[in-house]
Amino acid sequence: MRRTDYVIKRIFFAVMTVFVAITINFLLFRALPGSAVTNFARAPHASPELRATLTHEFGLDQPLWKQYALYLNQLVFHGNMGISFADNQPVTSELAGKLKNTIGMVFVGTFLAIVIGVVTGFLAAWRRGGAVDHASTSSAIVFYALPTQFIGMMLILLFASVLPTAGMRNQVNAFFSGGSTWSNLKDIGLHMILPAVTLALTLFGEYTLVVRSAMLETLGEDYVLTARAKGLPQRRIVVSHALRNAMLPIATLVALSLGFIVAGAILVEIVFSWPGIGQAVYEAVATRDYPMLQGAFLILTLSVVFFNFIADLLYFKLDPRITE
Amino acid sequence: MKTVEPAVVEGTALEARPSRGGHPIVRVFRERPSAVLGLSLVLFFVLVAIFGPALAPYSWTQPSGAVFAPPSAQHLLGTDGSGVDVLSEMMYGGRTSLIVGFAAALVAMIVGGGIGLLAGYSGGATDVGLMRVTDYFLVIPDLVLMIVIATVFGPSLSHVILVIGLLLWTTTARIVRAQVKSIRERVYVRRARSLGASHRRIVFQHILPQVAPLLIATTVLTIAYAIFDESALAFLGVGVPGVSWGTMLEHAFERTAMTEGAWWAFVPPGLAIGLVVIGCYLMGQAIEDALNPRLRVAHLSIRTWRIRKAPAATTHLDPEPDREEAV
Amino acid sequence: MSLLEVRDLQVWFDLPHGGRLHAVQGMNFAVDVGERLGLVGESGCGKTTALLALMGLLPPSAEVDGTVLIDGTEILRGGEDAMRAYRWTDVAMVFQGAMNAFNPVKTVGSQIVEPMEFHGTATGAVAKREAADLLELVGIPAAAAGRYPHEFSGGMRQRAAIAMALACGPKVLLADEPTTALDVMVQAQILELLVSLTRDLGLAVILVTHDLPVVAQVCDRAVVMYAGRTAESGPIDTLFHDPRHPYTRLLFEATPDLIGDAEVVSIPGAPPRLDRPLVGCPFEPRCDRAFDRCKVDTPRLAVVAARHEAACHLNDVAPAGIGSGVG
Repeated sequence: MRRTDYVIKRIFFAVMTVFVAITINFLLFRALPGSAVTNFARAPHASPELRATLTHEFGLDQPLWKQYALYLNQLVFHGNMGISFADNQPVTSELAGKLKNTIGMVFVGTFLAIVIGVVTGFLAAWRRGGAVDHASTSSAIVFYALPTQFIGMMLILLFASVLPTAGMRNQVNAFFSGGSTWSNLKDIGLHMILPAVTLALTLFGEYTLVVRSAMLETLGEDYVLTARAKGLPQRRIVVSHALRNAMLPIATLVALSLGFIVAGAILVEIVFSWPGIGQAVYEAVATRDYPMLQGAFLILTLSVVFFNFIADLLYFKLDPRITE
Repeated sequence: MKTVEPAVVEGTALEARPSRGGHPIVRVFRERPSAVLGLSLVLFFVLVAIFGPALAPYSWTQPSGAVFAPPSAQHLLGTDGSGVDVLSEMMYGGRTSLIVGFAAALVAMIVGGGIGLLAGYSGGATDVGLMRVTDYFLVIPDLVLMIVIATVFGPSLSHVILVIGLLLWTTTARIVRAQVKSIRERVYVRRARSLGASHRRIVFQHILPQVAPLLIATTVLTIAYAIFDESALAFLGVGVPGVSWGTMLEHAFERTAMTEGAWWAFVPPGLAIGLVVIGCYLMGQAIEDALNPRLRVAHLSIRTWRIRKAPAATTHLDPEPDREEAV
Repeated sequence: MSLLEVRDLQVWFDLPHGGRLHAVQGMNFAVDVGERLGLVGESGCGKTTALLALMGLLPPSAEVDGTVLIDGTEILRGGEDAMRAYRWTDVAMVFQGAMNAFNPVKTVGSQIVEPMEFHGTATGAVAKREAADLLELVGIPAAAAGRYPHEFSGGMRQRAAIAMALACGPKVLLADEPTTALDVMVQAQILELLVSLTRDLGLAVILVTHDLPVVAQVCDRAVVMYAGRTAESGPIDTLFHDPRHPYTRLLFEATPDLIGDAEVVSIPGAPPRLDRPLVGCPFEPRCDRAFDRCKVDTPRLAVVAARHEAACHLNDVAPAGIGSGVG
């Protein structure tokens, strides 16, 4: 029964966080005095009918608290995040499409980063003080320190002639238009290489350092000595005890780094013109498309909250000591 | 004479008081070369930031050469996409980036430290409430919120500093709170309270000096994040107005320096940011390591213990005529 | 032939900044079936190191010499790899602070089964049942096998550690400070358990402790260690009533009497450094009976009575025995 309690608490926390984000969003864009920012309906080039619909939906002629209620209502029950100033299209559907593009690239990049991080971190801990340790730690720090956009730009400089460096010929949305599925996939894959690698390079440093630290900690634990005393061979102890336990802090770390992943993803998408949420943020900022910007912020926050929640559950499953 | 075991001393008037906050930090630099390296890196760029603009050969805003001119005798680092001298831009831009970094970190330190102190010291409902808020902010992605706020409020130096600082306080708050909580329970603090010392006195005399080193370590690391965030905001076009390393990167990107092969337009600022971040990281880590020493023997490693090969020449009682150097 | 025989055990450690520490300087002892041997000495005298060396559980910085025989089979000289075959099946250990001997994320039962399955002494359901039986043997309900270590109290964990050590039916059990950090009632239970195990299973136990009353209560014989060497060894009663080494006598005198007014006397001074070769008797600086020879001549371990050895020049001078028992 205790364990269900925990899950419920985490769900509640996730919901509250989203709620806080929504409220911040609302306040930022509405509660400001004057300026074109506040008027959701003031989409340039919008027809009077559209304006009227928006004003009605979001209660722009009503007191603030009512606007908030309507905003929540539209958001939660209708998934309505307004109309993009840029093209008068619904924000929600546009962002949904872009989200798909982002997810693929971010997963590949993050996965790569985790793999590199775990391998180098483990080796560094296993051969502590040796050349491998110094090399791993140094490269981790260096790549962690270099700005993401810089790494991306360097990769473009080095590989511009070899790999595609910008955009995609067909957006994933247009999957069935022109070209076979296979050639579309290949196209996406090729275009994904540089952005995913950039993301991986920017992220792995932190992982290496944490994995190394977690492994060193675990290798010094008494239960490892006990396992050795039992006559178990090294490999088995490492896998069954050390790694198994080191997974806990590593899982926490990945969860905590979600914000960093988002930041990295945005920068990478800009550098490589990858048509995802990050790119949408960039364009929205450039064109002052506030509904779009708001929408992107919410979607990103929702994603982070969601994955954080998953990580909480994972951690909970891995560590029997958590009862609360 | 009877000797008294050390364990008996703990908890009595004889328990040693920790020394003042300044010393542990100085000791760290004396003992760890990595910290000194880090400090040198940061100091180098600070000096450039202070004296650079006076020594800059050209204007950092007006073009003084051809667009994307490669490094030459006239322009040591070449020119950027608008023909402005890169070296001059680097010197002045460094000032901007470092100011933003340090100032934002300062804001984060004050706000985060203050909240952490309040939460840790008060305990109870205040603690829970403050930590809930902190937790929400920890989850919400920093950069995106920064972008949103910067877009809404418009870019200016103070806005950017505030935005970065007000979103980086969360980590500091947590760390400070944890430390304050543990210090609060220490014997000499409890005694001071029971003797009737005011809260103010306890905080300033006992708690702050103990928290200071960790706070400094965290703030140094925050500087690194702040500089990184500044460059990210600049890349999105909502950074500081004027020249900074971040805007140099953005500018180079806009003018496609990468495909033009004009590496000198973005490598210097990129490397500079990297070096400053490395410097801050080395310093912050060294201080943190010194505060929480984790000397651990690995119970498992690739090498194992050895058997002495030579036939035992000694009987089992004579002192071993050992060689003094390590094997 | 003794069950476990140790001859001329030597352990050196490489020190991080050069030099070596001679932690164990030629120890000899033996244990018979069903016998309980105490290994006594101050902290840092090398008793834990000697114990670890018996199972080859030393770090890579260690170098070892000597012979360890179990039922006549040499187990030490093959190195770490060869040792594995004998670990747990022939000799097993209960560590100091058994709280941490268990992996917190696995059930206690699974950790008892683990060595069984690896060494092939039992598998599957049979192994699980045997593990449950072992828990019952040490006084823990069998159902607890499915629980995690943090759900056990300190005393229960210690007993579970003993159960785990018995998993593969070892001949010798090494116990390092098994009762430290446990309250008196629990201590008594654990000691009783050890006694019954030796009695009922024919187990031989080597008990390392600095706590003399424990040794006096539980052990048949004891080895008193000082500065990495054997100072004296013999039956407990004899050591108590007729100690032949000043250190032994002083140790017993330093133990506070629960009833009575005798002053608590501690032994002034500190043990010698082991990273330098020793000249003369290591105990000489702190000895109340030292004379000239003690400074230059290292005493050899010599037989002074039946199964009673001591390394002290006083025994040469007056064979009748020096040092009165503690009244």
